[in-house]
Amino acid sequence: MVVNEAKPRRKADLTDIELVLALFLRVGSIVAAALMGLGLVDLVIGEAQIAPKVITAGILVLMSTPVMRVVVAAVIFVKEGDWRFALFSLVVLIAVAIGAIVGQ
Amino acid sequence: MGIGAGIVGSILGLGGGIIIVPALTIIFGLPIKNAVAVSTVSIIATSTGAAVAYLRDRITNTRVAIWLEMGTSAGALSGALVAGIMNQRVLYILFGSLLAYSGYGMFKSRNLEKPASLQPDRLAEKLRLGGSYYDKALGHQVEYQVHRTFTGLVLMYFSGIAAGLLGIGAGIFKVPAMDQVMGMPFKASTATSNFMIGVTAASGAVVYFARGDVKPLVAGPVVLGVLLGAIVGAKFMVRMKPAKIRVMFIPLIAYTALEMIYRGVKWW
Repeated sequence: MVVNEAKPRRKADLTDIELVLALFLRVGSIVAAALMGLGLVDLVIGEAQIAPKVITAGILVLMSTPVMRVVVAAVIFVKEGDWRFALFSLVVLIAVAIGAIVGQ
Repeated sequence: MGIGAGIVGSILGLGGGIIIVPALTIIFGLPIKNAVAVSTVSIIATSTGAAVAYLRDRITNTRVAIWLEMGTSAGALSGALVAGIMNQRVLYILFGSLLAYSGYGMFKSRNLEKPASLQPDRLAEKLRLGGSYYDKALGHQVEYQVHRTFTGLVLMYFSGIAAGLLGIGAGIFKVPAMDQVMGMPFKASTATSNFMIGVTAASGAVVYFARGDVKPLVAGPVVLGVLLGAIVGAKFMVRMKPAKIRVMFIPLIAYTALEMIYRGVKWW
């Protein structure tokens, strides 16, 4: 039996990348939130030595998530044979990398 | 405070720096450089936290985002390179006026739930930038095309310069560029802006982090709050009517425009 879908589906070529990126960002934010939360708990229970390190680890995970997101997108574009957008992603990565190096 | 900034930022597609920097410096007495560092990390939190919901609902246009990210990241780089050479006051007045103009455009179209259907330009067709999403507030599918694709990229380059030079403009320039210039629906504009600001902020955050400006004991609670706020805010946003979000955006853009022009003028 075929049930009509109430919400029309979107073009197939865009479906995958968005769900993959959503999953990736979700994992990144959960790990970052867990580490920062753990660090704050450490602070409350008096583990003042460990707390800043755990929080810093959470911040580092959070900071790397958007950059890794561009890498993941680039990989998907390459897999799909969408060379134009793979190149665009590479341009973004290079600009971000130069920015990080020059800024210091 | 962090949660509030996260909610507002995620709904409007902004970083929330407008709230976080003054709050940390004025209320908590933090030095400005540390406040800006925390704010930059918070932008990443807003972006990452909210993007999950927007991507799943297909409101974010990833192709437009990656196309425009080339402009913002190149602009941020140029901004950082020419910082100190350019006259900041002139820039403040220039960017402030630009914001005032786009705020006026937004005010004129404040009652529109969706943009008039338009013909995509050749570049947009080639890059397949058009999109569609199911709007939970309007109860129907919104299909749209994009035009002035190249102009959009150029504007993003300048918004990147503003971000790199003046430390502002994470989202406040991007949303009007997509909404007013490229003809995207307002919700797609804020969601796509939200998606993009994480990348721009990340390159800045690395620099602040390396300098040791990100103090974990201050950043931890604020950033965690922003992250949670952004997740909650995104849930609100998908159920809000586009016109309502636009009406929330207008006072903020007007305030920022006036503040920037004031900063440019006040020493004369």
